[in-house]
Amino acid sequence: MKGVCKSFGTVVALDDVSLQLNSREIHGLLGGNGAGKTTLMNVLYGLYKPDAGEIYLRGEKIEIHSPRDAIQCGIGMVHQHFLQIDNFTVTQNIVLGTPLKNRPTLNLDQEEERIRELSERFGLEVNPRALIEDLPMGFRQRVEILKALYRGVEILILDEPTTNLIPQEVDSLFQSLRVMVEEGMSVVFITHKLREALGVCDRISVLREGKNVFTLPRDEASEEVLVKGMVGEELDVEKSVLFSSAGLDQAALEVGEKPVLQVEDLQVVGEGGNLAVKGCTFQVREKEIFGIAGVAGNGQRELAESLLGIRPIAGGRVLIDGVNVADVGTRELLEMGVTYIPEDRLQDGFLPAANVAQNLILGYHHQEPYNKGGFLDWPTIFRVARKLISEYDIKTPGPREIAANLSGGNIQRMMLARAFSHPARLLVAHNPTRGLDIPSMEFVYSKLLERKKQGMATLLLADDLDELFLLCDRIGTIYRGEIVGILDRSQFDKYEIGRMMSGIRTRPEGMPAYE
Amino acid sequence: MGQFEVQIVNFARLVMLALVPYVLASQGTMLGGRTGLFNVAQEGIMLVGASVGFLGAYLYDSLFYGLLLAMLVGGLFGLALAYFTTTLKMNQFVIGLALFFFGVGLSTLFYKFVVGVTLQPPLIPTLQNVPIPGLSQIPVLGDIFFTQNWLVYFAVLLSLFLYYLLYQTSFGLELRAVGENPKAADSLGVNVSRMRYGTAIVGGMLMGLAGAYLPMVYTGTFTEGMVQGRGWIAIALTFFGGWSPHLIFLGSLFFAGVEVLALRVQIGGFGIPYQFLLTLPYIATIFVMMFAFRWVRAPAFLGQNYDREKRTLA
Amino acid sequence: MSEQAMKPGRRVKALAGRLIPYLLAVVASFVAAGIFIAAMGFDVPKAYATIFFTSFKSPNGFVQTLLKFVPLLLQALAFTVPLAAGKFNIGGEGQLIVGAIGATAVGILFAGLPPVLLLPMVILAGLLFGGLWAAIPAWLLYRFGINEILTTVLMNFISFSLIDYVATAVWRDPAAGHPTTIPIGAGGELPLLISRPPLHSGIILAVAIAAAVYVYTNRTAAGYELVATGANPRASMVYGINVRRMFLLSLILGGTLAGLSGAIEVAGVQHRLIEGLQSNYLPLGLIIGLISRGNSLAVPFVAFFIAVLEVGASAMQRTMMIPVEMVFIVEALVLLFVLLSDVVRSASLWDRRQ
Repeated sequence: MKGVCKSFGTVVALDDVSLQLNSREIHGLLGGNGAGKTTLMNVLYGLYKPDAGEIYLRGEKIEIHSPRDAIQCGIGMVHQHFLQIDNFTVTQNIVLGTPLKNRPTLNLDQEEERIRELSERFGLEVNPRALIEDLPMGFRQRVEILKALYRGVEILILDEPTTNLIPQEVDSLFQSLRVMVEEGMSVVFITHKLREALGVCDRISVLREGKNVFTLPRDEASEEVLVKGMVGEELDVEKSVLFSSAGLDQAALEVGEKPVLQVEDLQVVGEGGNLAVKGCTFQVREKEIFGIAGVAGNGQRELAESLLGIRPIAGGRVLIDGVNVADVGTRELLEMGVTYIPEDRLQDGFLPAANVAQNLILGYHHQEPYNKGGFLDWPTIFRVARKLISEYDIKTPGPREIAANLSGGNIQRMMLARAFSHPARLLVAHNPTRGLDIPSMEFVYSKLLERKKQGMATLLLADDLDELFLLCDRIGTIYRGEIVGILDRSQFDKYEIGRMMSGIRTRPEGMPAYE
Repeated sequence: MGQFEVQIVNFARLVMLALVPYVLASQGTMLGGRTGLFNVAQEGIMLVGASVGFLGAYLYDSLFYGLLLAMLVGGLFGLALAYFTTTLKMNQFVIGLALFFFGVGLSTLFYKFVVGVTLQPPLIPTLQNVPIPGLSQIPVLGDIFFTQNWLVYFAVLLSLFLYYLLYQTSFGLELRAVGENPKAADSLGVNVSRMRYGTAIVGGMLMGLAGAYLPMVYTGTFTEGMVQGRGWIAIALTFFGGWSPHLIFLGSLFFAGVEVLALRVQIGGFGIPYQFLLTLPYIATIFVMMFAFRWVRAPAFLGQNYDREKRTLA
Repeated sequence: MSEQAMKPGRRVKALAGRLIPYLLAVVASFVAAGIFIAAMGFDVPKAYATIFFTSFKSPNGFVQTLLKFVPLLLQALAFTVPLAAGKFNIGGEGQLIVGAIGATAVGILFAGLPPVLLLPMVILAGLLFGGLWAAIPAWLLYRFGINEILTTVLMNFISFSLIDYVATAVWRDPAAGHPTTIPIGAGGELPLLISRPPLHSGIILAVAIAAAVYVYTNRTAAGYELVATGANPRASMVYGINVRRMFLLSLILGGTLAGLSGAIEVAGVQHRLIEGLQSNYLPLGLIIGLISRGNSLAVPFVAFFIAVLEVGASAMQRTMMIPVEMVFIVEALVLLFVLLSDVVRSASLWDRRQ
């Protein structure tokens, strides 16, 4: 790929980016969110039309206008958010769009056979007859990879493939990738995690703000070099929470005594009518960041939403500062100083057609000083909004701007401004850094720690173990709605948590390890 | 056959006759919906179909031309819906409502321009029964099922064909995929907008046909608002039928039954004010929806436009 | 750069920028319809002169326009208030009818009461009955999650039977050829502002209601919740707004507004219930609401414009034999072109940014 450019509205996502992929290599594409990694690969896969740039395959210039063209050129892509049809079977999902020879009925036995064969060859076990919606995340990812393999691709793009995997599954994925490369394929591995890139890739290209930084073979790359490449000069790496332990000073490690949030045998009904949270018990104390680890979809969302009163509590108790809030509504909880950063901030927190000021008061619109006797005090609201816009560096012409016109990163900052601008006793944050660029991630981490020092209790639900290890004082692991085990900071171990994430209870005191 | 048996056979025959507009309109709705395109202009398209179907038959002295014209106009409405929503990404409900208005307005406008205002409206012949050789000789069943006009046969065969198409062909797999997750379908090379254009146009044609059926079977002429909510009921029926061709067919039987029943009771008297009997189909629809909305799973992307490059919610 | 910098000059410019697409849409629709009218062999300039100037040529025409304006304004608001919460109320017609039935019932049953009692009762009955009629689909949405578009429409068809029953079986006026009830008590009639041509005081009520709706949606915390719900119901729920209650409330509110228009038709214009008094106010109300894009400040102006067209359309049919539906098509075209201007604008915005 040569000289690829792509803009979305005012946002320049790719600025003259080039990438060379050799045959039989795993090529890491490293960078923070918003660096343009996914955009670049979406261009290669025909999902985005580039404004400029050329693509060559084995020295020949090719045109890719749609995923269909890409597949014909032997290019396959595994998206971060799986593109699957929930109520179709694995086989139906895989064969979709491939020409099936003329046949009177939709009998897919032959195809099933091929899928079985492929999954055996590459170590990607999955039942071809299962419905997608019944499969756990790790298996769904295998389906996604099988989709590409089934089409006989020679170039496979994987976009943040480890997001929903436990450490053990990550290892097995890396083994499968090695098998593919040995069979003659080439792999592009998109990630924002240094160690993954170093762990599996043959060469690594770093992108930042839509531009090439450098491409290095693995033996010439080191953590320091890659960090510098990812963050540039903007961020002081030495003082960073994200990249150096210096950000976590002693005060940040102190934990209070008094419990703020007490969850006792909590039960919450999920979307399908079954219990999604089955008897969780834990406490979050003052000045504590309590993490919840787990593969996405194990009840985290329901847990978070029940604490905010968005989802009713089916059983058990929730105490905030000793007061039972099981029947308290969202509005009152917000007034009590509970703050929520939802996982899907666009769906769950964003009013696209409203203006920036209206967005900034959502949830607080009935409180002083915005609401005076039922009437909204717009001058005050605009004053506060302007203050937040400058304080949180939201790039917008003003508080009257329609929020949908903001760029993705600025929308995220607007959401964070709302969450952090109100005094909080308890913060429930669900994947708060998802989709953020590196400076914004850094900003969130420092805000979390700053509030922690001031006494706020934080419940941090995150899919990213590195994030949890970095920030949390304790981590509980959730599996199918149950807390499998709780570890202190001194006990953190990713394989141990990985086991718990797949439902294996941690060994009792004094017992020998399984292995 | 006794008096009672004759009554039953007559009733069943009328149900089969009343079935057609429901089947055609709701299978058309289902087709679009299965690709995520939610048409809410049925009532308007059926009205315009009734109007041009009647006028075509009247002017060319041929029911066939009338039906053809109604399908053509219905197809154009479907094309317009697809263009505004799929190409221009405009809100499906708003465009659907706008098309509904056009249908209502144009149906009367066409009629007034062609026929003018007359005391004695012109009439067209109604569709002839076409007994199927052999099968129509079967006692009872032959009368009910095999001595009907050919649109009745068409409605039955269409339902069977759509069932086969949707569940037993790879084309059907792709069609359903587009309504469930257009991005997934797109990423595997299925042409989402072509699929939506296709189903919208075919769906519109079926609705036009459904409208044209009314003057050709019931009244012999066009009157303002003669569709009487059948288009809206077709939407409810599509939900009720779980967006599946076979269940929609069964649901149509139910609604056709209610319609005929209301009519029969009215003729029979029984002292109930006829106005209340007229409301029966609508009340039945509302009741049915109370249950349908609970267990029915609509296509996941129903009513949502797909934009390949869209990154944020807008 | 903030809104403080919005000098009066810029405001005018901004307003002009928003009005120009409307004007273009109107012009485009009339050009398109003009071609059609010409093709049918009619005199286009004469037809358009009739459409535009009938309202302003005589006091009678102007009063006719105002009388059309009242129900159109209320019908449009009955649509835009639920729309602000993201719900489509397509049942304004039925709510008008049932509101009118309620008003008539009270007006007939308590015919002897003095105006000071009967008039408020008639108006209130309209509000109440319209609200109740809308409460049925609203409750079905709240309780069972049934799509409100369908149920509100179906309720219209039921109301047609209801009015027919009331006008032919309950309080039938045997002297009338068309299904009509006997008149309501004189105390239930809205006082006239001008007696010749008669203009009733319902217009004041309608305009006051429009102002109240504006204040509610734009200046109050409760109205904020309505608008937030429409903008993103999921986010609003996450931030403590009872979204389902907002749906319920907005639909019922819409129903009361439509019911009021029915009561005003009875108390101000007909003084009795006449089958067909709903005219085609429902589609017109929807068109007005959609052209205004739900902006409650724009609704009265658009409603007036449509009222002018409607009065002109009747005159055109009388004098030139061009069917009134022609104007309805023009109105639908205006809507379509206004919607299209959005697409064009966002596309050009896109280009400019790039």
